[in-house]
Amino acid sequence: MKNTPQPLDDTLLNYLDGSLKPEEKTDIEKLLQQSDTLRVRLDELRGIHFALRQIKLDQPSKNFTQLVMGKLDGYTERSTFPIRNGIWLLAGVLVAVGIVSLLVSSGVFDQTQTVVDLNKINLPKQYIQEPLPSIPFNGKLLINIIIVLNLGLAWLVLDRAILKPYFQRRMQTH
Amino acid sequence: MTNEEEFQCIDRILAGDQQAYTVLVDKHKYYAFSIALKVLQNRNEAEEVAQDAFVKAYHHLSKFNREAKFSTWLYRIVFNTAISAKRKSKPIFQSIENTIVEYNPGSEGTLESSDKKKYVNQAMAKLNEADRTALSLFYLDEFSLDEIAAITDSAANTIKVRIHRARQRLADELTLILKQEALTL
Repeated sequence: MKNTPQPLDDTLLNYLDGSLKPEEKTDIEKLLQQSDTLRVRLDELRGIHFALRQIKLDQPSKNFTQLVMGKLDGYTERSTFPIRNGIWLLAGVLVAVGIVSLLVSSGVFDQTQTVVDLNKINLPKQYIQEPLPSIPFNGKLLINIIIVLNLGLAWLVLDRAILKPYFQRRMQTH
Repeated sequence: MTNEEEFQCIDRILAGDQQAYTVLVDKHKYYAFSIALKVLQNRNEAEEVAQDAFVKAYHHLSKFNREAKFSTWLYRIVFNTAISAKRKSKPIFQSIENTIVEYNPGSEGTLESSDKKKYVNQAMAKLNEADRTALSLFYLDEFSLDEIAAITDSAANTIKVRIHRARQRLADELTLILKQEALTL
Protein backbone atom coordinates (compact mmCIF):
# COMPACT_ATOMS: atom_id res chain seq x y z
CA MET A 1 0.00 0.00 0.00
CA LYS A 2 0.99 3.60 -0.39
CA ASN A 3 3.65 4.75 2.09
CA THR A 4 5.17 7.46 -0.07
CA PRO A 5 4.18 11.13 0.01
CA GLN A 6 1.98 12.41 -2.86
CA PRO A 7 4.70 14.47 -4.64
CA LEU A 8 6.99 11.42 -4.76
CA ASP A 9 4.16 9.28 -6.12
CA ASP A 10 3.61 11.88 -8.85
CA THR A 11 7.33 11.89 -9.67
CA LEU A 12 7.33 8.09 -9.88
CA LEU A 13 4.36 8.18 -12.27
CA ASN A 14 6.07 10.83 -14.39
CA TYR A 15 9.18 8.61 -14.33
CA LEU A 16 7.12 5.69 -15.68
CA ASP A 17 5.55 7.96 -18.32
CA GLY A 18 9.02 9.15 -19.35
CA SER A 19 8.00 12.76 -18.83
CA LEU A 20 10.75 13.78 -16.35
CA LYS A 21 13.55 16.16 -17.26
CA PRO A 22 17.03 14.50 -17.32
CA GLU A 23 18.07 16.06 -13.99
CA GLU A 24 14.77 15.04 -12.34
CA LYS A 25 15.24 11.52 -13.69
CA THR A 26 18.76 11.34 -12.20
CA ASP A 27 17.46 12.62 -8.84
CA ILE A 28 14.66 10.06 -8.61
CA GLU A 29 16.99 7.25 -9.66
CA LYS A 30 19.35 8.22 -6.84
CA LEU A 31 16.45 8.22 -4.39
CA LEU A 32 15.34 4.83 -5.69
CA GLN A 33 18.79 3.37 -5.02
CA GLN A 34 18.64 4.61 -1.43
CA SER A 35 15.06 3.71 -0.48
CA ASP A 36 13.51 0.25 -0.38
CA THR A 37 10.07 1.76 0.27
CA LEU A 38 10.33 3.86 -2.86
CA ARG A 39 11.40 0.86 -4.95
CA VAL A 40 8.45 -1.14 -3.66
CA ARG A 41 6.10 1.72 -4.54
CA LEU A 42 7.64 2.00 -8.00
CA ASP A 43 7.00 -1.72 -8.51
CA GLU A 44 3.37 -1.29 -7.46
CA LEU A 45 2.87 1.62 -9.84
CA ARG A 46 4.77 -0.15 -12.60
CA GLY A 47 2.47 -3.15 -12.20
CA ILE A 48 -0.60 -1.04 -12.87
CA HIS A 49 1.22 0.91 -15.61
CA PHE A 50 1.94 -2.28 -17.56
CA ALA A 51 -1.51 -3.69 -16.89
CA LEU A 52 -3.08 -0.53 -18.29
CA ARG A 53 -0.86 -0.69 -21.35
CA GLN A 54 -2.74 -3.87 -22.26
CA ILE A 55 -5.94 -1.85 -22.73
CA LYS A 56 -7.24 -2.42 -26.22
CA LEU A 57 -9.97 -0.80 -28.23
CA ASP A 58 -13.38 -2.39 -27.77
CA GLN A 59 -15.07 -3.82 -30.85
CA PRO A 60 -18.54 -2.54 -31.72
CA SER A 61 -21.04 -4.79 -33.55
CA LYS A 62 -20.23 -5.77 -37.12
CA ASN A 63 -23.20 -3.87 -38.56
CA PHE A 64 -22.45 -0.71 -36.53
CA THR A 65 -21.89 1.51 -39.58
CA GLN A 66 -25.04 0.28 -41.33
CA LEU A 67 -27.08 0.91 -38.19
CA VAL A 68 -25.76 4.47 -37.95
CA MET A 69 -26.44 5.15 -41.64
CA GLY A 70 -29.97 3.76 -41.22
CA LYS A 71 -30.64 6.16 -38.35
CA LEU A 72 -29.44 9.32 -40.12
CA ASP A 73 -32.75 10.24 -41.75
CA GLY A 74 -34.97 9.46 -38.79
CA TYR A 75 -33.17 11.88 -36.50
CA THR A 76 -35.13 14.47 -34.58
CA GLU A 77 -33.39 16.74 -32.13
CA ARG A 78 -34.45 15.91 -28.61
CA SER A 79 -35.21 18.78 -26.33
CA THR A 80 -32.74 18.97 -23.44
CA PHE A 81 -35.39 20.75 -21.37
CA PRO A 82 -37.24 18.12 -19.31
CA ILE A 83 -41.03 17.99 -19.80
CA ARG A 84 -41.53 18.15 -16.03
CA ASN A 85 -39.69 21.49 -15.90
CA GLY A 86 -41.88 22.71 -18.78
CA ILE A 87 -45.02 21.79 -16.84
CA TRP A 88 -43.74 23.69 -13.76
CA LEU A 89 -42.89 26.73 -15.89
CA LEU A 90 -46.30 26.67 -17.57
CA ALA A 91 -48.05 26.28 -14.21
CA GLY A 92 -46.05 29.24 -12.84
CA VAL A 93 -46.98 31.46 -15.77
CA LEU A 94 -50.67 30.48 -15.56
CA VAL A 95 -50.80 31.05 -11.80
CA ALA A 96 -49.21 34.50 -12.25
CA VAL A 97 -51.72 35.34 -15.01
CA GLY A 98 -54.61 34.09 -12.85
CA ILE A 99 -53.56 36.16 -9.82
CA VAL A 100 -53.07 39.33 -11.87
CA SER A 101 -56.41 38.78 -13.70
CA LEU A 102 -58.16 38.44 -10.33
CA LEU A 103 -56.54 41.68 -9.15
CA VAL A 104 -57.62 43.44 -12.37
CA SER A 105 -61.21 42.17 -12.11
CA SER A 106 -61.42 43.24 -8.45
CA GLY A 107 -60.50 46.77 -9.50
CA VAL A 108 -57.07 47.07 -7.86
CA PHE A 109 -55.67 48.85 -10.92
CA ASP A 110 -58.70 51.08 -11.59
CA GLN A 111 -57.11 54.06 -9.81
CA THR A 112 -53.79 53.79 -11.63
CA GLN A 113 -54.70 56.39 -14.23
CA THR A 114 -52.49 59.41 -14.36
CA VAL A 115 -51.04 61.92 -16.81
CA VAL A 116 -47.32 62.28 -17.27
CA ASP A 117 -46.63 65.99 -17.81
CA LEU A 118 -43.36 66.26 -19.73
CA ASN A 119 -43.16 70.01 -18.99
CA LYS A 120 -42.42 69.19 -15.36
CA ILE A 121 -39.19 67.49 -16.32
CA ASN A 122 -36.16 69.79 -16.04
CA LEU A 123 -34.88 70.05 -19.60
CA PRO A 124 -32.60 72.79 -21.07
CA LYS A 125 -34.92 75.61 -22.19
CA GLN A 126 -32.92 76.50 -25.32
CA TYR A 127 -33.92 73.23 -26.99
CA ILE A 128 -37.64 73.46 -26.25
CA GLN A 129 -39.57 75.96 -28.39
CA GLU A 130 -43.15 74.82 -27.64
CA PRO A 131 -44.82 73.28 -24.58
CA LEU A 132 -44.44 69.46 -24.49
CA PRO A 133 -47.55 67.25 -24.67
CA SER A 134 -48.93 65.41 -21.64
CA ILE A 135 -49.03 61.59 -21.91
CA PRO A 136 -51.95 59.77 -20.31
CA PHE A 137 -50.89 56.64 -18.39
CA ASN A 138 -53.39 53.85 -17.82
CA GLY A 139 -52.08 51.20 -15.38
CA LYS A 140 -54.97 48.86 -16.05
CA LEU A 141 -54.26 48.88 -19.79
CA LEU A 142 -50.58 48.12 -19.13
CA ILE A 143 -51.45 45.19 -16.85
CA ASN A 144 -53.85 43.85 -19.50
CA ILE A 145 -51.06 43.99 -22.10
CA ILE A 146 -48.76 42.10 -19.69
CA ILE A 147 -51.46 39.45 -19.18
CA VAL A 148 -51.83 38.97 -22.94
CA LEU A 149 -48.03 38.71 -23.35
CA ASN A 150 -47.92 36.12 -20.54
CA LEU A 151 -50.66 34.09 -22.22
CA GLY A 152 -48.54 34.15 -25.39
CA LEU A 153 -45.54 32.98 -23.35
CA ALA A 154 -47.64 30.22 -21.78
CA TRP A 155 -48.69 29.04 -25.24
CA LEU A 156 -45.02 29.01 -26.34
CA VAL A 157 -43.96 27.01 -23.26
CA LEU A 158 -46.81 24.54 -23.84
CA ASP A 159 -45.72 24.05 -27.45
CA ARG A 160 -41.92 23.99 -27.15
CA ALA A 161 -41.28 22.56 -23.69
CA ILE A 162 -44.16 20.12 -23.32
CA LEU A 163 -46.00 19.10 -26.51
CA LYS A 164 -43.06 19.01 -28.94
CA PRO A 165 -40.71 16.94 -26.71
CA TYR A 166 -43.63 14.69 -25.72
CA PHE A 167 -44.54 13.83 -29.33
CA GLN A 168 -40.86 13.48 -30.31
CA ARG A 169 -40.31 10.92 -27.56
CA ARG A 170 -43.52 9.13 -28.51
CA MET A 171 -42.38 8.93 -32.13
CA GLN A 172 -38.99 7.57 -31.10
CA THR A 173 -40.43 4.89 -28.84
CA HIS A 174 -42.87 3.59 -31.49
CA MET B 1 -6.69 9.32 -43.52
CA THR B 2 -5.17 12.74 -42.77
CA ASN B 3 -7.00 15.70 -41.24
CA GLU B 4 -7.13 17.33 -44.66
CA GLU B 5 -8.73 14.24 -46.20
CA GLU B 6 -11.24 14.16 -43.36
CA PHE B 7 -12.14 17.79 -44.01
CA GLN B 8 -12.63 16.99 -47.71
CA CYS B 9 -14.89 14.11 -46.72
CA ILE B 10 -16.86 16.48 -44.48
CA ASP B 11 -17.19 18.93 -47.39
CA ARG B 12 -18.70 16.13 -49.51
CA ILE B 13 -21.15 15.23 -46.76
CA LEU B 14 -22.16 18.87 -46.32
CA ALA B 15 -22.67 19.08 -50.09
CA GLY B 16 -25.25 16.27 -49.80
CA ASP B 17 -23.21 13.09 -50.23
CA GLN B 18 -24.62 11.18 -47.25
CA GLN B 19 -22.80 7.94 -48.12
CA ALA B 20 -19.44 9.68 -47.57
CA TYR B 21 -20.25 9.58 -43.86
CA THR B 22 -19.65 5.79 -43.82
CA VAL B 23 -15.93 6.54 -44.21
CA LEU B 24 -15.92 8.64 -41.02
CA VAL B 25 -18.09 6.16 -39.11
CA ASP B 26 -15.85 3.25 -40.12
CA LYS B 27 -12.75 5.13 -39.06
CA HIS B 28 -13.95 6.38 -35.69
CA LYS B 29 -16.41 3.71 -34.51
CA TYR B 30 -13.84 1.79 -32.44
CA TYR B 31 -12.80 4.75 -30.32
CA ALA B 32 -16.37 6.06 -30.14
CA PHE B 33 -17.63 2.70 -28.90
CA SER B 34 -14.71 2.31 -26.48
CA ILE B 35 -15.34 5.73 -24.94
CA ALA B 36 -19.06 5.01 -24.57
CA LEU B 37 -18.28 1.62 -23.05
CA LYS B 38 -15.79 3.10 -20.58
CA VAL B 39 -18.47 5.51 -19.38
CA LEU B 40 -21.47 3.16 -19.38
CA GLN B 41 -19.88 -0.23 -18.62
CA ASN B 42 -22.61 -1.92 -20.64
CA ARG B 43 -22.09 -3.07 -24.23
CA ASN B 44 -25.69 -2.66 -25.42
CA GLU B 45 -26.07 0.81 -23.99
CA ALA B 46 -22.62 1.80 -25.28
CA GLU B 47 -23.51 0.61 -28.77
CA GLU B 48 -26.76 2.61 -28.72
CA VAL B 49 -25.07 5.73 -27.36
CA ALA B 50 -22.16 5.57 -29.82
CA GLN B 51 -24.63 5.27 -32.72
CA ASP B 52 -26.72 8.17 -31.40
CA ALA B 53 -23.57 10.27 -31.07
CA PHE B 54 -22.63 9.59 -34.71
CA VAL B 55 -26.14 10.54 -35.83
CA LYS B 56 -26.02 13.71 -33.71
CA ALA B 57 -22.58 14.59 -35.12
CA TYR B 58 -23.87 14.10 -38.68
CA HIS B 59 -26.74 16.52 -38.13
CA HIS B 60 -24.47 19.12 -36.52
CA LEU B 61 -21.59 18.69 -38.94
CA SER B 62 -21.97 22.25 -40.22
CA LYS B 63 -21.17 23.47 -36.69
CA PHE B 64 -17.79 21.71 -36.66
CA ASN B 65 -15.40 24.67 -36.96
CA ARG B 66 -12.28 22.67 -37.98
CA GLU B 67 -10.09 24.34 -35.38
CA ALA B 68 -9.63 20.99 -33.65
CA LYS B 69 -9.42 17.50 -35.11
CA PHE B 70 -12.73 15.97 -36.19
CA SER B 71 -12.05 13.02 -33.88
CA THR B 72 -11.73 15.29 -30.82
CA TRP B 73 -15.04 17.01 -31.70
CA LEU B 74 -16.78 13.68 -32.35
CA TYR B 75 -15.48 11.94 -29.22
CA ARG B 76 -16.59 14.87 -27.12
CA ILE B 77 -20.11 14.35 -28.45
CA VAL B 78 -19.78 10.62 -27.67
CA PHE B 79 -18.54 11.36 -24.14
CA ASN B 80 -21.31 13.89 -23.43
CA THR B 81 -24.01 11.61 -24.87
CA ALA B 82 -22.71 8.73 -22.76
CA ILE B 83 -22.58 10.87 -19.61
CA SER B 84 -26.19 12.02 -20.23
CA ALA B 85 -27.30 8.41 -20.74
CA LYS B 86 -25.45 7.34 -17.59
CA ARG B 87 -27.15 10.06 -15.54
CA LYS B 88 -30.55 8.99 -16.80
CA SER B 89 -29.98 5.30 -16.17
CA LYS B 90 -27.89 5.25 -12.98
CA PRO B 91 -27.69 8.40 -10.93
CA ILE B 92 -25.79 6.82 -8.00
CA PHE B 93 -22.01 7.24 -8.08
CA GLN B 94 -19.93 4.61 -6.39
CA SER B 95 -16.56 5.88 -5.25
CA ILE B 96 -13.53 3.64 -5.20
CA GLU B 97 -12.55 5.18 -1.87
CA ASN B 98 -15.00 3.11 0.14
CA THR B 99 -15.04 -0.07 -1.88
CA ILE B 100 -12.81 -3.07 -2.08
CA VAL B 101 -12.25 -5.06 -5.24
CA GLU B 102 -13.93 -8.45 -5.01
CA TYR B 103 -11.34 -11.10 -4.39
CA ASN B 104 -11.95 -14.76 -5.05
CA PRO B 105 -9.93 -16.80 -2.52
CA GLY B 106 -10.70 -19.97 -4.45
CA SER B 107 -8.09 -19.14 -7.06
CA GLU B 108 -4.75 -20.36 -5.78
CA GLY B 109 -1.21 -19.76 -6.94
CA THR B 110 0.39 -16.58 -8.18
CA LEU B 111 -1.61 -13.77 -9.70
CA GLU B 112 -1.76 -14.73 -13.37
CA SER B 113 -1.87 -12.08 -16.05
CA SER B 114 -5.51 -12.93 -16.88
CA ASP B 115 -6.40 -12.57 -13.18
CA LYS B 116 -4.51 -9.30 -13.04
CA LYS B 117 -6.43 -8.05 -16.07
CA LYS B 118 -9.68 -9.07 -14.40
CA TYR B 119 -8.82 -7.30 -11.15
CA VAL B 120 -7.66 -4.20 -13.02
CA ASN B 121 -10.98 -4.17 -14.88
CA GLN B 122 -12.88 -4.54 -11.61
CA ALA B 123 -10.92 -1.72 -10.03
CA MET B 124 -11.38 0.40 -13.18
CA ALA B 125 -15.14 -0.14 -12.97
CA LYS B 126 -15.10 1.52 -9.56
CA LEU B 127 -13.51 4.72 -10.82
CA ASN B 128 -15.86 7.49 -11.88
CA GLU B 129 -16.63 7.65 -15.59
CA ALA B 130 -14.49 10.71 -16.31
CA ASP B 131 -11.41 9.19 -14.61
CA ARG B 132 -11.97 5.84 -16.32
CA THR B 133 -12.34 7.44 -19.74
CA ALA B 134 -9.32 9.71 -19.24
CA LEU B 135 -7.17 6.78 -18.10
CA SER B 136 -8.26 4.57 -21.00
CA LEU B 137 -7.68 7.29 -23.60
CA PHE B 138 -4.26 8.00 -22.09
CA TYR B 139 -3.22 4.36 -22.35
CA LEU B 140 -4.64 3.90 -25.84
CA ASP B 141 -1.76 6.19 -26.84
CA GLU B 142 -3.74 8.03 -29.47
CA PHE B 143 -4.45 11.27 -27.67
CA SER B 144 -2.45 14.04 -26.06
CA LEU B 145 -3.43 15.33 -22.63
CA ASP B 146 -4.91 18.41 -24.33
CA GLU B 147 -7.09 16.25 -26.58
CA ILE B 148 -8.26 14.11 -23.65
CA ALA B 149 -9.04 17.35 -21.82
CA ALA B 150 -11.08 18.61 -24.79
CA ILE B 151 -12.99 15.32 -25.09
CA THR B 152 -13.86 15.19 -21.39
CA ASP B 153 -14.39 18.95 -21.08
CA SER B 154 -11.69 19.44 -18.44
CA ALA B 155 -8.41 21.33 -18.12
CA ALA B 156 -5.25 19.49 -19.20
CA ASN B 157 -3.77 19.83 -15.70
CA THR B 158 -6.91 18.35 -14.19
CA ILE B 159 -6.64 15.39 -16.56
CA LYS B 160 -3.02 14.82 -15.60
CA VAL B 161 -3.93 14.84 -11.91
CA ARG B 162 -6.91 12.55 -12.58
CA ILE B 163 -4.74 10.04 -14.42
CA HIS B 164 -2.14 10.08 -11.63
CA ARG B 165 -4.70 9.64 -8.85
CA ALA B 166 -6.57 6.93 -10.74
CA ARG B 167 -3.37 4.95 -11.23
CA GLN B 168 -2.49 5.31 -7.57
CA ARG B 169 -5.91 4.00 -6.57
CA LEU B 170 -5.61 1.08 -8.97
CA ALA B 171 -2.10 0.30 -7.73
CA ASP B 172 -3.32 0.32 -4.12
CA GLU B 173 -6.22 -1.96 -5.02
CA LEU B 174 -3.94 -4.43 -6.79
CA THR B 175 -1.46 -4.40 -3.90
CA LEU B 176 -4.33 -5.20 -1.55
CA ILE B 177 -5.33 -8.13 -3.75
CA LEU B 178 -1.75 -9.44 -3.86
CA LYS B 179 -1.54 -9.24 -0.08
CA GLN B 180 -4.84 -11.09 0.29
CA GLU B 181 -3.55 -13.73 -2.09
CA ALA B 182 -0.31 -14.09 -0.15
CA LEU B 183 -2.32 -14.69 3.03
CA THR B 184 -4.17 -17.61 1.44
CA LEU B 185 -0.97 -19.36 0.34
